[in-house]
Amino acid sequence: MAVNIKINGQPIQAEAGKTVLQVAKEHDVHIPTLCYHKDLNPTGNCRMCIVEVKGGRFLQAACVTPIWEGMEIETSSEKVMKDRKLTLELMLANHPVDCMTCDVAGECELQDLAYEYQAKVPAWGAKGTRYKVDSDPNPFIRVDMNKCILCRRCESACAEIQGRNVWGVAKRGFEEVIVAGAGVPMLEARCESCGQCVAYCPTGALSNKMNYGMGRAHQVTKVTTTCSYCGVGCQFDLLVKNNKVIGVASNPNAPVNGMALCVKGRYGYDYIHHPDRVVKPRVRRYLLEERGKTKEDGGWDWIDVEWDVALNIVAKKFMEIRGNFGADSIGLLTSAKCLNEENYLMNKLARQVIGTNNIDHCARL
Amino acid sequence: MTNKKIVYRPISREIEELAREHGNDSESALELLKEIQSHHSALTTASVTDAARALKLPPHQLYGMATFYSMLSLEERKKILRVCDGPVCWLKRASGQSSVNSGQLVNEWKDKVDCEFSVERTSCLGLCDRAPAVLVEDEQAGPVEANEAEKICEGWRGVPTDYSEVRKGEVRVMTALIGKIDPDSIDDALANGVYDGLKSALLGDPEAVLAEVESSGLQGRGGAGFPVGRKWRFVASEKRTPRYIICNADESEPLIFKDRVLMDTNPHQLVEGMTIAGYACGASEAWIYIRGEYEYQARRLEHAIEQAKSKNLLGENIFGTGFSFDIHVHRGAGAYICGEETALIESLEGKRGEPRLRPPYPPTYGFRGQPTAVNNVESFCAVPHIVKHGAEWWRNLTGSSTPGTKVYMALGHVKKPGLFEAPFGLTLREIIEEFGGGMPPGSQFNFALCGGAAGTIVNESLLDTPIDFSSSQKGISLGAGSFLICDQSVSPVAFLRELLHFFAAESCGKCTPCRVGTWRSLEILNRMAEGNGQKGDVDELKTLANLMQDSSFCGLGQSVAIPMKSVLTHFDAEFGKAEGN
Repeated sequence: MAVNIKINGQPIQAEAGKTVLQVAKEHDVHIPTLCYHKDLNPTGNCRMCIVEVKGGRFLQAACVTPIWEGMEIETSSEKVMKDRKLTLELMLANHPVDCMTCDVAGECELQDLAYEYQAKVPAWGAKGTRYKVDSDPNPFIRVDMNKCILCRRCESACAEIQGRNVWGVAKRGFEEVIVAGAGVPMLEARCESCGQCVAYCPTGALSNKMNYGMGRAHQVTKVTTTCSYCGVGCQFDLLVKNNKVIGVASNPNAPVNGMALCVKGRYGYDYIHHPDRVVKPRVRRYLLEERGKTKEDGGWDWIDVEWDVALNIVAKKFMEIRGNFGADSIGLLTSAKCLNEENYLMNKLARQVIGTNNIDHCARL
Repeated sequence: MTNKKIVYRPISREIEELAREHGNDSESALELLKEIQSHHSALTTASVTDAARALKLPPHQLYGMATFYSMLSLEERKKILRVCDGPVCWLKRASGQSSVNSGQLVNEWKDKVDCEFSVERTSCLGLCDRAPAVLVEDEQAGPVEANEAEKICEGWRGVPTDYSEVRKGEVRVMTALIGKIDPDSIDDALANGVYDGLKSALLGDPEAVLAEVESSGLQGRGGAGFPVGRKWRFVASEKRTPRYIICNADESEPLIFKDRVLMDTNPHQLVEGMTIAGYACGASEAWIYIRGEYEYQARRLEHAIEQAKSKNLLGENIFGTGFSFDIHVHRGAGAYICGEETALIESLEGKRGEPRLRPPYPPTYGFRGQPTAVNNVESFCAVPHIVKHGAEWWRNLTGSSTPGTKVYMALGHVKKPGLFEAPFGLTLREIIEEFGGGMPPGSQFNFALCGGAAGTIVNESLLDTPIDFSSSQKGISLGAGSFLICDQSVSPVAFLRELLHFFAAESCGKCTPCRVGTWRSLEILNRMAEGNGQKGDVDELKTLANLMQDSSFCGLGQSVAIPMKSVLTHFDAEFGKAEGN
């Protein structure tokens, strides 16, 4: 059913049941948000998206207010703009003024809004003195509750997306603070370090520990890629600085996974530039020269070779085995790290080239 | 980079056992936490986690509760003595000296009581007629000053206020049986006509009761004045069942204690009113959410419910009509915000008492997501009389536009403070002079806080304005019906500081304007009250009040602005002086 509303005087016909924010977005009317995220259930906590509804006694949070027939909405009246700016200032009063050294400067939603509303940092307030910086021993996630604005996106992301229910809210009033479990370190509160909370945190309260201090949003190039760890096919952005991958960021447009990633996808990237990483095929020396297959004879050493050399050796060995013992003495195991196409080709290789049905896949284990 | 190894630890036997007694029901989280706390000297991270695991809830939820409700604690305590830090007790103590802050107050008591007690501050105890008041474990005591602490240690608890004497001009309906019956005896109650309303209601059909309450024009007595009949109609017309009735007895707003007196003096009246509500709305189960500090009253209600069940006035198949109704008593644990109906429902469901998004409102989506009528104690208490005597009679009790009578409370600098019942439309002057016995010698009217802590602060210009639910537009609010009269010795700046001290302590923290706004306002007012005001303070207070009123999530934040704005209007000069101009 369609209802007729007006946003800033402009008549709009929209589907009943939608929120003011949704309709505004569809019609390119900008309403600022902070605790709202399209993936999460709206809570209406932060009061940034307040709008004036004609006839209403109070300002309404656009993210949670459904539209009704004849509703007239002002999204940027003087009162609204004033209140939004003041709400921002109340947040900034208790937020450290360290944007110059903050890791998330440039992609911080609080910073962007402060800029948009030209909100000044008040002289009063606790600034960054209330909590221990980097307070949690989690190896991947850096916690600095001084920067928290209590939007509770981390709580929602953990509960709604990951289903782990690690984060929650403790105490009340000005003392209110986000805690893991019963006020314990994250890992003791069933955290599996997926980093969803980091991805949804609008400020630097939750950030990544592995690349802390290594680069900020404007200094990195984002390269969208598909995760190589398993067959789900999650997409994310590799953060590249000086030709090195320094981190992984969720790509909201990823078709399979959206913002969600697992600990391997988000934090398992350190192998890329690891000195121990094998980047070329290797064969034992005895396969190249006449030597004994022992350490003493030097035949057991690994030698870097070209692909052709390595594959020729493998092909020759397979042919020998098949010739001596029959095709069914060979079995192939494929990997979840391969593409579907690659797995298909392995199937062909096993059944048609080698001539055996002994083919399996690691994901079955 | 190492990942810590998590060692499996089984749930403690004791907690597993306690949880099983509650049927491992997640709604019993608050009770479970209270029980664990009472068996040990405090809650611990381990016990909270175990309780959560036993109820199959995330540990953060129970930890959030343990740190939210003021009666729960993770700090070791002995027997607890809670000293009321509310504005009425402050006024009593302050008389003359205006800077007794809560830190000093607690220390004063700590020095005076022997070591068996841990002393804590607490926001208003609802014992305003016994101010200054304390709560010794769960026993209400007062009036008592710190220098009389010895008496408390010896077991003295003071005398409850007696309201059996009828004041001149009173029209007693809900309070008619005060002092005339033994509140713990159902025979006494029955002999005096309690439950007659229920009996006559059950003779007709639910629709007749609903229509009667609707046409009586009874307005909710919690402060907002929403028509009770209309609320019930919403619930009754919802197709989904079960429907629920909830009585809001969380009376935590400073200045208000009427519900306590009503429950204390005639608990059967409330039971009767709720049962009629259940009949009218098609509900079969009800809860009384009573604040944790009213343990004494909670026990009295439980006793009354047991008695009513034994007489088949409650329970299965009442009087053979086929109508079954049961009432449970649920104790809160110290949170003003739980008086907000959706926060109350959240708390009843075993969560932090944070307000929900509205709409949907409780009549469509309330307790357990079902249609729910939430009404104040006084609203339910009025219902039996309306059913018994008819809507016509109720409307004729008053000449004002708001029908019926109201339980009022007069406090502060009046000769006869306390509670009385009268029709709507009294003026402040009548409340002071006729019902309150006038102001004491030497006292001159300075200002009054009208309604409750979230009411208007008025000066003498509004002394003659008749007060009802619509008078707030004229600048004087009825709220829950309490009036705190202050004479020239009380500074409006220090007084507003006390109110903000309360609101800052009781803000739930969900939304930014209230969470930081109350805290910042208190910071400014602390300075101003101590004579360190700065230029711009008043403007900042006004700006903050406007922000909280316009942008807060729930009624608590929105109403903080009411006393702020009214006192800033009426006492411009005093605030200007405090600013240092």
